[in-house]
Amino acid sequence: MARVIKAKRRGDVGFNMTPMIDIIFLLIIFFMLVSQFQQLEIEDVVLPEAVAAKVMDYSQYRNIVINIIKGKTSSLDAVVKVMGREMNVLQPYTRPDGSQTVGGELTAYLVDAASKGDKANLNVILRADEDVPYEDVARVMLAAGAAGIEGWWITTKIPESEQK
Amino acid sequence: MRSTSRTREKVKIQPPMTSMIDIIFQLLIFFMLMPSFQSHEGYLTTNLPKDQGPNPRPPEILERIKIELLDEGNEGEGVSIVLNDTQSLGDNFEGLRAALEGYRAQGLQPTHPILISPTMAVRHKWVVKAFDAAVTARFTSIHFAVPR
Repeated sequence: MARVIKAKRRGDVGFNMTPMIDIIFLLIIFFMLVSQFQQLEIEDVVLPEAVAAKVMDYSQYRNIVINIIKGKTSSLDAVVKVMGREMNVLQPYTRPDGSQTVGGELTAYLVDAASKGDKANLNVILRADEDVPYEDVARVMLAAGAAGIEGWWITTKIPESEQK
Repeated sequence: MRSTSRTREKVKIQPPMTSMIDIIFQLLIFFMLMPSFQSHEGYLTTNLPKDQGPNPRPPEILERIKIELLDEGNEGEGVSIVLNDTQSLGDNFEGLRAALEGYRAQGLQPTHPILISPTMAVRHKWVVKAFDAAVTARFTSIHFAVPR
């Protein structure tokens, strides 16, 4: 026993904690930032400015972010994207009872999302490019309305003069 | 004397600079990146338009304040505001806000309904500006019409 203790003292073998802590901190920061972006699945759009817009806490809701991206050549070929997936809103949506309504894939997606959990906790966030025509925005609004969603948030940029 | 000073030099304790510099660099990078991730985004909360089918009920003009937005120029680059079918405000959103604040000063309740009715080609930014004007004038019941 005495030999073993001596050997330990001489060699002084131990973990080098410094680089391990370094790496752990790096990973924590990385995952903190990545999870923030994953939660919202946002696309790169130029948002319109609004003075009255409020910063709100979305973390308590089940959020669905609907992005409306301006077309590359003109504002008339806008694209609707949810969770990175392009959605068709021009086709009709057929309800389980056979009747038809507007919204196509987007209505189907929202109906499905609403049926999976507490509907009251479902929060629809619209991120539309400032240059897309109201026609496209209204189509998305109608699709959400057809899925039984009544209220939602319109994302805007807070002007620099209003930023605290 | 010499030997004493040598011994002192040998046992001089230094803090571990490498790990400290590591952490300082990490913090530096973190705080350099954080402002760029703060997006300065806000939200306007609203109610959705309801699809009234092929024969919609005519809007109740007398009851609610109606803000019409008409597209102007190429692909709706410009806009023209018409308030309550009568008052033409051009693209003066400050004027719209002042007019709405005037209604509030006349005693209209914050819950008095406002209908924003844009044409199809009006750009989203103009719709948001009209909405912003209504919210700034402290109206809370703001609705959107199905586009014409």
